Order: sequence, then structure tokens, then C-alpha cells
Amino acid sequence: MKRQIPIMLAIIASVCPVIAFFFPDRWINEWFNQRLDAWMVIIASFALLLGIVSMIQVNIHKIRRRARGWGFSIIILVTFTLMAAFGLFGGQGERADGSLYPFTWMFQFVFSPLQATMFSLLAFYVASASYRAFRVRNVEATLLLIGALIIMVGRIPLGTLIHPLVPDIAEWVMKFPNTAAQRGIIIGAALGAASMSVRVMVGIERPYMGKS
Amino acid sequence: MELQLPGFGQWIAAFFTLFVFSFLYKDNILYRFAESVFAGVSFGYYIGLAYINTLEPNLFSPLFGDFSSNWSLLIPFAFGVLLYLRYVPKLAWISQWSLAVYIGYYIGVNLLQRLHGEILPQTKGTMLPLNVEFGQLIGNLVVIVGVITVLIYFFFSSPHRGPLKPAARTGIYFLMISFGASFGYTVMGRISLLIGRLTFLVDEWARPLVATVFGG
Amino acid sequence: MSWADRLLFVDRRIIFLFVFVGALVPIIAPIGLGVTVSPPVQQVFDRIEEMQPGDAVMIAFDYGPSDGPELDPMANSILRHCHFRGVKVVGLSLFPLGGVDMAIARMRQLADELGAADGVGWVNLGYKDGAQAPMKAMGENIASVFPTDANGVPYEEIAMLEGLRNYNNFEMAISLATSILGEWWINLVNAQFGIDVAIGTTAVSAPKYYAYMEAKQTLGVIGGMKGASEYEELVERHYPQAKGLSRTATMGMDVQSIVHLVIIFFILFGNLMFIVTRGKKEAK
Repeated sequence: MKRQIPIMLAIIASVCPVIAFFFPDRWINEWFNQRLDAWMVIIASFALLLGIVSMIQVNIHKIRRRARGWGFSIIILVTFTLMAAFGLFGGQGERADGSLYPFTWMFQFVFSPLQATMFSLLAFYVASASYRAFRVRNVEATLLLIGALIIMVGRIPLGTLIHPLVPDIAEWVMKFPNTAAQRGIIIGAALGAASMSVRVMVGIERPYMGKS
Repeated sequence: MELQLPGFGQWIAAFFTLFVFSFLYKDNILYRFAESVFAGVSFGYYIGLAYINTLEPNLFSPLFGDFSSNWSLLIPFAFGVLLYLRYVPKLAWISQWSLAVYIGYYIGVNLLQRLHGEILPQTKGTMLPLNVEFGQLIGNLVVIVGVITVLIYFFFSSPHRGPLKPAARTGIYFLMISFGASFGYTVMGRISLLIGRLTFLVDEWARPLVATVFGG
Repeated sequence: MSWADRLLFVDRRIIFLFVFVGALVPIIAPIGLGVTVSPPVQQVFDRIEEMQPGDAVMIAFDYGPSDGPELDPMANSILRHCHFRGVKVVGLSLFPLGGVDMAIARMRQLADELGAADGVGWVNLGYKDGAQAPMKAMGENIASVFPTDANGVPYEEIAMLEGLRNYNNFEMAISLATSILGEWWINLVNAQFGIDVAIGTTAVSAPKYYAYMEAKQTLGVIGGMKGASEYEELVERHYPQAKGLSRTATMGMDVQSIVHLVIIFFILFGNLMFIVTRGKKEAK
């Protein structure tokens, strides 16, 4: 039982969208499939929040053990509670008087600058990596370098000033050799993913069972 | 335009921006503080986001507002709650039911996306005409040769011998040009993010501050 | 250690400083370089240009704050374009990490700068979890997954949404996407429901979308800050009312020019040092 029920459920859930695709106007679509889509939105919402339980457990554990950096765990839990409370007991967006709800205020002035700045650090690292690691050691690396230089020059306003054809060369590289390579990757990855899907659909692969 | 000192929000945002930038010099406590706030706020954001946008309007409001018409929502509600049984060791096996439905559904959708939305149209898109004007002919040949050789490189994982060897090699060359282009774009993307932060610091924080204090 | 080696292993903070200064100077003192428009962006613009007043476009804000500098200006210029053409905009988001707030901010900006009112020119349906599930559901009935807009007003009570039941009632869908969401708009929504899909994406993702565009699965790609600056240019060229509105991507491209030059210099200089040191090592 413990093994059969999840396998049966997975097979049914995976076959439903496939049947709906092939019989779009039949009763199964109207009666069941649309409802299933709307239900999945709700289940996905619960699933999205799953990781939060682990996050709370890990940080409480760290504080209890006074592990290294436990003070930061307190900051994580306090800011987490505050933000969650703003979300659960307030609104989102603007109030009627034009002021922001605290949830949106926190997003705009705390979350937003932090996330954006963390990612912007990559600008510096990409520059330093370009200097240290981008070497013309062989044909492959040279092609990599040429591809990069064409785009880096062809996609900036200065490229046009160098020669009016420069942006066209960049566009040609994107449209033909780049498309060919990306298409090979898309088809290759899709074949792999599709065969993996089939393995799950027939119960050979069971990612929902965990390691047990 | 009337100049004003930056608002409280701008000050907070500016400080957090500078705290994160301080990492470029070296790891320090201000960066660690900003990092922890970011982690906490992100997780809290998920809760508020899911509640305000999905759980409240799609589940709680219809279920408790008009139970007789929406009782069937108890089914996804139950499956959603069951997911959390994985944290109760004795009942963890029941959470597999929910997980099976969740993963199963997305596997089915994904299969169609890949076969019908990628493999078929992308293959069709590679069947290009060769009776076209010269410039287009060259382009079409590049695409056809490129796709085939890249696929040969991917799919013949045994040592490349005979005619496969030059074909797979050509495939690598196509990949390298494309990865190079991607690298060029990545540089552009990363700099865009830096521009965003510096524009904020200069235009929304420093400029009004300097102008007000020094009467610009 | 030779002088060339020493240059090769220079403290990376010195490189950081070059990047920082290269980016900061054009922000403080803008240069004002021109913009050339590429076909993938032109195609998206032309498709909206063909529409009639009263037609509807769906815009998915599938990105977060870290993509704002690239995708915010795209969103601004597409929203302005739709407003000038009298095209109705239905905004929504399927990206969890901030998508709905990006949508709120962009639509608020449209209301502030052009007076487009909520519920008249545009509606923001908010965010839903589950990505492909709402994408599929909207093929039959949008209200089945978006029972209310972002302010909690029921779908049926919003006059602008009357007659907009599913994808069939829209001229096109535009996904402003980071991550894989843009691909799903193509391989699921376009493939299964036939609606035209255009993609505005971060520069990092742009190369992949060319493969979809060349297979006619998406009608155009607006890639990164460069693509955004092109759209800003097109809107201003065709609509004099847009003059004077913010053009953050166009300004940003000045900075890109300088920093790209800095990085290209470092790449070439690094290789020169590499060749010099290799030559010496081989001689030894």
C-alpha cells in the first residue's frame, strides 16, 4: 500500500494533462482537467513554502547550539517573522491614500536593493574572470573569445561608431551559428527530459518516494 | 524642481546597497548583516506572497465564503497540507501522496512541452530551403550543419571515430561561438545590474542629498 | 616573479576599481550615444503597431528586482506604447521572487506619467503560484485561476475585462522573463493555444531565444538593456508624446559602452601577458 498509492497517484496525475491535450473538447477536459489546473495552483503554493520549515529548523538549531554565527540566525528569524507578518496581516501595493503597505515598502526598500546589489557584484567578478581566465589556449578558446568580442562590441552604441556593419555582424552571429548551437542544445535537452518524463509516468523513476 | 532630502526608504536602501558593495573590499560584518536580513526577508516574502496572491483569493476566500459551491477545494487544500507531514517522521510516508500528484502533474505537462513545444517545432525549423538567394543559403547551411553536428557531439558519447570525429569537432566549434556570444551577453547583463544600483545611489540618494545640503 | 606575471596576478580589487569608475563616470556625466534598432525588437514593436484601439495584450511580469535594470525599461516602453495605441493591457506575474511587485511598480509609473487609470487602460491580475498550471488554465478561463485582480476586485466586476475570457481574446502575450518562464510561454502557451508570444528577456537568456524566434515560435525577442534601449527609441520615434519620458536603458547603454571597453581591454591585455609569459617559459 505504502508503495502502490503514490505510484498510482503519480501515474494518474501525469496522464491527465496528456489526455486533455489529445482530447481538448471532451468531457474529461471540462469536468476534470481544468479543475486539476486550478487545484495545482493551490498545491504548488503549499509546495513553495515547504523549504521554510527547514530554514526555521536549521536556524533555531544553530541558535540553541550557539553555533558560529548564531547571531545572524537571530537576524534571519526576526526579519523573516516581521516580513511574514506584514504579508499575512496587511495588504500589498498602495493604500487608498497613496502610501505603501508595509509588505510592499519592505519589498521596495529592503528586499529589492539587497537582491539587486547581490547580483550586481557579479559585474565585478565577470570582469576579473575575463582578465584572468579568458585565454586563447586553443581553437575552441579562440572561437569563444571571438564570439564574445563580436557581441561585446556589436551590441554597444560604440560598435556602430566603429563601423556601421558591426551591429549587423553581431546579429548574423546570433541568427545563424548561435541559433544552430542553441537549437542543438534545446533538442538534445528536450529529448533527455522527455524520456525522463516517460520513465516517471510509467513508474520506473520515482522522485516523489525519496531515498527510502 | 523642488529638491528634497532622500526619504527614509532611500536611506535604508542606500545603506543596504553600500553594505553589500563592501564585500568587494573584503568579507565583513556589515555584509553579513545585510545577507542575513536578505535571507529572512526573502523567506518572509514568500509567505506573504503565497498568502495574499494565491491561498487567500484561490482557496480560503471561496472555501469559507461559499462552502457549498466550492467544497471541492478541500481536495487541493488537503493535498497541500499533507505535504508538511514529511516533517512528522512517523507520518512522512503520507506526504508522498501529495508529492506524487504534484510531481506527476508537472511531469505530464513537461512531456508535452518538450515533445510538442520544442522537439517538433525546432526540428521543423531546421528543415530549411536551399533554393534561396546566396546570403540566405549560407545562413541556412550554417544552421543545418550546426544543429546536426551539435547533436552528434551530444548523442554519441562513445569515443568519436571515423566521420563522427570531424562532425563532433565541428559541433564543438558551433557551441564555442554560441557560448562566446552568451558570455558577451552575460557581461552586458551583469553590468546592467551594476548600472541599476549605481544609478539608484547617484540619482535617488547622492544627488538630492548633495543638492539639498550644498544648495545645488 | 617577472613583471608580466605580476601584472597577470594583480589584486582583483584593482580590476574592480576600474569597472566601478568606468560605470560611475557616464552615470554622473551622460554621453548620449545613438541607438540602432535590430530586427527582433522591431518585430515586436510592429506587432503592437498593427493593433487597433480596444485590442488586448497580456503582459507577464516574470522577473524580480535583480533583473529590473534590464526589464523595467522594457516594461515601461511597452506599456507606454500600448497606452498610446489605445491597446488594453492585462498584467500578471508567474515569477515568485518579486514579479507581482515589479508589475505593481511599472503600472503605477504608467499611471503617474501618462494618467492611465487602473481598470481603464490596464488591469493588474497579480501573481499565481504553479507557473504551468495557471498558464494552462488561462487557455480555457482566466478567471478560474485569477478570480480577482491584485486589489481583490472580482474578475467579473472589472468592466475592462469584459469579453476577455481566455487567450483567444488577446492579440498577443508578452513575457518579460528571467529564468525559464519565457520558454514555457513559448513551448506551452504558444505551442498549445496558438497565441502570438513575444519575449523580453535578460541579456543572459537572449541567445537561447534566437532559436525559438528563428523557428517562428516567438515573434520577437527584446534582449537585455540593449533591446530595451531599442524599444525606447522606437516609441519615441513614432510617438512625440513620449519625448521627455525617462529612458533609463538608453542612458545605461552609454555606461555599457565604457565598461565593455574596459573589459575588452582587460581580456586583450590578459592574453598579451599570457603570450609573453608563455613565450618566456617555453624559452626556458
